[in-house]
Amino acid sequence: MSSKEITSTTSGLEANKPTRAAARSHRVHRSVLWMALAIVVTALAYLFWGRDRLPAVEVLQVLGGEKVPGTSFIIMSDRLPRLAVGALAGAGLGISGALFQRWLGNPLASPDVIGVGYGASAAAVFAMIVLGYNDWKLNAFALAGGLLVAALIYWLSASGKRTGSRLILAGLAIGAMLQALIQYLLTQAQLNTASDVMHWLTGSLSSSNWDSALLLLVPLGTIAVFLLPFVLRQLKMLELGEDAAAALGLNVGWARVLLVFVAVAMGALPIAVTGPLAFVAFLAGPISAALTRGPINIPLAALTGATLVIVANFFAANLFADLSLPVGVITGAFGAPFLIWVLVRTNSTGSGG
Amino acid sequence: MAQLQANDLTLAYDKVTIVDELSLDIPTGEVTIVVGANGCGKSTLLRALSRLLKPAGGKVLLDGQDIHTKPAKEVAKTLGLLPQSPTAPDGITARELISRGRYPHQGLFKRFSAEDEAAVNRALELTGTMELADRAVDELSGGQRQRVWIAMALAQETELLLLDEPTTFLDVAHQLEVLDVISELNRTRGITVVIVLHDLNLAARYADHLVALREGKIYAAGHPNEVVTERTVKDVFGMPSRVIPDPVAGTPLVLPIGRHRVLRTENVLAAQGIVRSPEFVELTKSAVKQEPTVADELQTPVLAPQEVEPAQLRPGAEHLATLAYQCMVMRTQDLTPAFRRITVGGTDLSHFGTNSHSLDMRIKLLLPPAGGSALTEEIAALRPEALSSPAGQEGWYRRWLSIDPSSRGYMRTYTVRAFREVGHRDNLGDTAELDIDFVMHGQVVNGALQGGPATEFADRAQVGDELLLLGPNRALSDETYGGIEFRPGGARRVVLAGDETAAPAICAILEALPANVTGHALIEVPDTDDILGASTRSGVSVQWLTRGTNEHGVLLAAAVKDVVAIPAAGAVHTDADPEDIDIDEQILWETGAAESAPFYAWIAGEAGMVKELRRYLVREAGINRKQVAFMGYWRRGKTEN
Repeated sequence: MSSKEITSTTSGLEANKPTRAAARSHRVHRSVLWMALAIVVTALAYLFWGRDRLPAVEVLQVLGGEKVPGTSFIIMSDRLPRLAVGALAGAGLGISGALFQRWLGNPLASPDVIGVGYGASAAAVFAMIVLGYNDWKLNAFALAGGLLVAALIYWLSASGKRTGSRLILAGLAIGAMLQALIQYLLTQAQLNTASDVMHWLTGSLSSSNWDSALLLLVPLGTIAVFLLPFVLRQLKMLELGEDAAAALGLNVGWARVLLVFVAVAMGALPIAVTGPLAFVAFLAGPISAALTRGPINIPLAALTGATLVIVANFFAANLFADLSLPVGVITGAFGAPFLIWVLVRTNSTGSGG
Repeated sequence: MAQLQANDLTLAYDKVTIVDELSLDIPTGEVTIVVGANGCGKSTLLRALSRLLKPAGGKVLLDGQDIHTKPAKEVAKTLGLLPQSPTAPDGITARELISRGRYPHQGLFKRFSAEDEAAVNRALELTGTMELADRAVDELSGGQRQRVWIAMALAQETELLLLDEPTTFLDVAHQLEVLDVISELNRTRGITVVIVLHDLNLAARYADHLVALREGKIYAAGHPNEVVTERTVKDVFGMPSRVIPDPVAGTPLVLPIGRHRVLRTENVLAAQGIVRSPEFVELTKSAVKQEPTVADELQTPVLAPQEVEPAQLRPGAEHLATLAYQCMVMRTQDLTPAFRRITVGGTDLSHFGTNSHSLDMRIKLLLPPAGGSALTEEIAALRPEALSSPAGQEGWYRRWLSIDPSSRGYMRTYTVRAFREVGHRDNLGDTAELDIDFVMHGQVVNGALQGGPATEFADRAQVGDELLLLGPNRALSDETYGGIEFRPGGARRVVLAGDETAAPAICAILEALPANVTGHALIEVPDTDDILGASTRSGVSVQWLTRGTNEHGVLLAAAVKDVVAIPAAGAVHTDADPEDIDIDEQILWETGAAESAPFYAWIAGEAGMVKELRRYLVREAGINRKQVAFMGYWRRGKTEN
């Protein structure tokens, strides 16, 4: 998937002199490599220096396939699933945000800003607390909640027009309401620890296990393999404006529905597992665009999202010696200033809401 | 080649009908431009033609098949559309954007092929954007960006290209740049082009076929020369205008008329809804044979209510060089025993004037018959607002002459002593006004002056009396107006000579003469009481001659001989005897037009006297006849009708 996206954007490559498109594709490749490297290095570092320091020898032994009492459990049942869930969730959120941002041509239009994320969150909390679900049904509820909110916002921001700013404003309002709803639902529940509350408010990887990793991998993988290539192809037309897309022979109505479905699913499914990891969806696209100095590259945004979560997870575990923070607190702490920066920048260029 | 048609197309958004049962054939291989006011449905029409909008009624046919029964991708292979404001994704290069035009030619899994690459290169070549290919679209100028978008539509390689306002937000140079590119594509590759454009002048220039939409219907369609008329512009854009040939392209050029900063005449004509080229109806009918146009329906309501015969009758102010002005006596003033000044005014006089100097501007007074009115049918038709046709006006004077004077009254020529427009510092009235100095010939019988009709009119004129006069229409007159006979050309020395009937004209000329003119003004009047005040800033010396008991014209002839001496023998060719004119039968009226001669003479008054002076000046003094104007105003012992 990733190679297809990359090669098709570099169609204008000329043999001899490096064109701007070629230079950018070079930057995309380089960024992919650096991101992958960052994930691997951070993941390894986390295996050694997680919440507790593990002896290096034991870690290596466990990675080599040996069973070391205690260490094996920590690595195989806690740290590795956390990394897997974190990477998958980050990738999903990254794709989700990047799709929205490219479609609407506005960095503010990411699911965590426009309330779609809170929709998924609220639905998952409802399913868990009120209905007592704890398996794939939670994911289904999160997906449904996200889609419902997406549809609601779309309807509120007036039928079909690419009114980015109205959509964002409507999303902000819906998001605030949903946050209140989540907090209300949480007060009704018998929650064991503060971290459980934090899980649903800012997102956390603490409850990750191999089951939840699998629960993420299957639907996300299916969508990424079977639907995302079409969405990417159609997105290239949609982002020219709906009339232009239709004139190029695209069925705009269906393309839009498919895009919203994929984008919401990519965001809602991770939220059902990790809670709303703050600002990951919002940050991944613009960061990847800044790295390549070009349009948002969706596969790179996925990788960027994964990197963000993995790195944040490492810091969450190591920033304070006596305290393990939920990942969402770290992503939120980095994301909020970035949001301000985006607001200032888009205001000065006039392309923002 | 692909054929695009609309059949009884009705388009609506949310039940609001935008386009109503419209039928249109797009001429293959030509540039069709759709114009119309904002909200007339032209962009909506374009969306429907390009399958973006499903019609509420009727059909769009592409090669004879309903466009909505064809798959979108199939349509996109034959028909390309550039929407009004497409958005370029951030950071995308021109070549990447243009490549996206290949979408309809790519299969579900087919990658970008060599054929696609070639099409993109062709599009870059044709639009002259090759050197921009690697630039980011958002860094380009407006015109460059628009060319790139056109290139994208071209990469689609369609036989039909539809463009919605491709020049919006571009400066004029870039507008031309874009339209030239489109024109070029049409010429070199035979692409059928349909453009929605709001600039009527550019539309007229670039269109082979122009479609004017009004309220969702075709108002007129055809070649721009047939479609762009003042009436079409008025009806389609609701704007009065003048349409003239574009000096650059030869196509019609529309000059809008707003309420301000427009020549007064145009403003007045525009306010009255007058158009100057109303013949589009016939033209359109022949140009759009197969299509019913709404022009026929609109014809009647659009025209002025009193206009029965369409497109033929126009207000006189619009086509008659001489108009009849209904005036009213505002003031009377006895200047001397022989002169009485009547000041008349009236709203009609807003049309009066020649847009030039006021030297010797003569008008015809229509003096009413005893107890009757001078406003005959012929004269009424000359009023500024009266509707008439140039053909119908021909021969009006002959027809007027044939009426019995006792019922039509008399026509007399008088000089405008002064004309003051509204707002002139000496004009305190609400309308323009003019002074006429009447010469009081005749005898007093029973306390009333008896003489010619003009004398009698002036004698009895009261404030509020009506007076009709014929004079120049300022909309259509300039210094060549027939009533102006003082044409000194480049002459620096002038001789003005005349009797009391010429005195007002000479006084008026003197007041208007520029400072660099010298010469003599000789005026013979009956008595010392009749010497008028005449002021001039020119170097002309004014000499009043009082006739007393002398024969009429004797003193004047002597004075003229004094100021125009007979040259020494041989200096000029002197025996050019002017042909004799029987002044009792014919009017002696010769006006010269001294183009560059340094001397110019202007002689007016009693015909016998003028004839004598003419003989002297032309034969004995050897002055070129072109340099002298002779005007027999009247003949002693004879009243004209």
